[in-house]
Amino acid sequence: MGCAESLQLQAYFDGEVDPAAAGAIERHLETCVECRALLQDLHALRTLLREQAVPIGIPADLRGRIMASLDEESRTAVAPRGRPSAPLRRSRPFWIGVISGVGGGALAAALALLVLAPMLKGSLVTSLVADHTRSLMSSHLIDVVSTDQHTVKPWFAGRVELSPAVADFAPQGYRLLGGRVDEVQHSNAAVVVYQHGKHVINVFSWVIGRGGLPQDVTRNGYHLAFWQDGNLAYCAVSDTGWPELHELVGLLQGIK
Amino acid sequence: MDDRRGRFEAQVLPHLDAAYRYARWLTRSSNDADDVVQEATLRAYRSFEDLRGADGKAWLLTIVRNCHLTAARQRQRRNLMPLPEADDEQAGELIAGTPDPQTLAIQRDELRTLQRLLAALHEEHREVLVLREIEEMDYRQIAAVTNLPIGTVMSRLARARAALRTRWLQETQGECNGLR
Repeated sequence: MGCAESLQLQAYFDGEVDPAAAGAIERHLETCVECRALLQDLHALRTLLREQAVPIGIPADLRGRIMASLDEESRTAVAPRGRPSAPLRRSRPFWIGVISGVGGGALAAALALLVLAPMLKGSLVTSLVADHTRSLMSSHLIDVVSTDQHTVKPWFAGRVELSPAVADFAPQGYRLLGGRVDEVQHSNAAVVVYQHGKHVINVFSWVIGRGGLPQDVTRNGYHLAFWQDGNLAYCAVSDTGWPELHELVGLLQGIK
Repeated sequence: MDDRRGRFEAQVLPHLDAAYRYARWLTRSSNDADDVVQEATLRAYRSFEDLRGADGKAWLLTIVRNCHLTAARQRQRRNLMPLPEADDEQAGELIAGTPDPQTLAIQRDELRTLQRLLAALHEEHREVLVLREIEEMDYRQIAAVTNLPIGTVMSRLARARAALRTRWLQETQGECNGLR
């Protein structure tokens, strides 16, 4: 039995395979003594671990200390001059006072842009990272599975109002896996999925809104590279290194 | 109680037991686990807005792990000269794996074997096993907590199970030979 099979059996044991794959594994188990033994071992270890590892909960005094520190934290957060580490966004933003005092609509709008634009960019990054992780974690990585750009590109037509850059860069080490439709800031985005080594790279594209694009950024260990082509915004997200990510960005920008 | 505190208590605090268990298995010391969980809960409360309705358990355990790593790095920097007595006493609660047979025999009575073997595993193996078997998290959650790709979670889990199984067999067969 190979290593790949034992990983598959483990995934089956952990309830991480779909019903079709489970059926295939169960059929294999009927004939393979080795895999049956491995499965038994997995069961035995789990049983022993769950029986023997002390089911400790948090001690009451520690829980009490934690609740007390939360009380303290809540108090300082509500107080007008909290400690610097206390969350400040609970208090009324200072610029509300400024705007109401001046009463200038234009100033309000200008301030709102100044204040909101970074917030929008922040939430854009957050939502892209969330989309990326969700795509890795669920079976919703790819809607159309194809290594052929002439299949993937037309697939987007009729599903999203944009036609993103798509190409297979297998010779350069970036294999086209397929595409899916996702949502970025409440509008549809086309996502083209590439594989580089063991890493998945999601390339999001959407019609650019107001406020511009953020700088390249690293969030939760994922790199996000942004660029713009005409009225399309692009963002490549992955846990590869920056050079690998930028190489793909370069390849995509080179498509004409 | 304000609304934010109420939501925090509903979404995050139910996972304090899991956070504490995970911290115990990471630090292998009840003092360090206390500090880590306390710090992690406070940090979680301060950045509660980041949770956004996602998996509260995985989120809290991620913060626990980060706090543990930070604290461990700080200890390493500080304790170029460790204080052996204090540390060993702490470690004795969960760690074993010293080759001295007499110590082992004593510890065998005090600690249940598999728990001791688990504590002696390498940290990267120990944590995926604890998250999977004791906290019963799925691969996705484990990947989120450990900040690893799912493929790495799978292979680490397989290696961890193989390592534990080997040690377990050595241990139990050793006992059988002793009886003969």
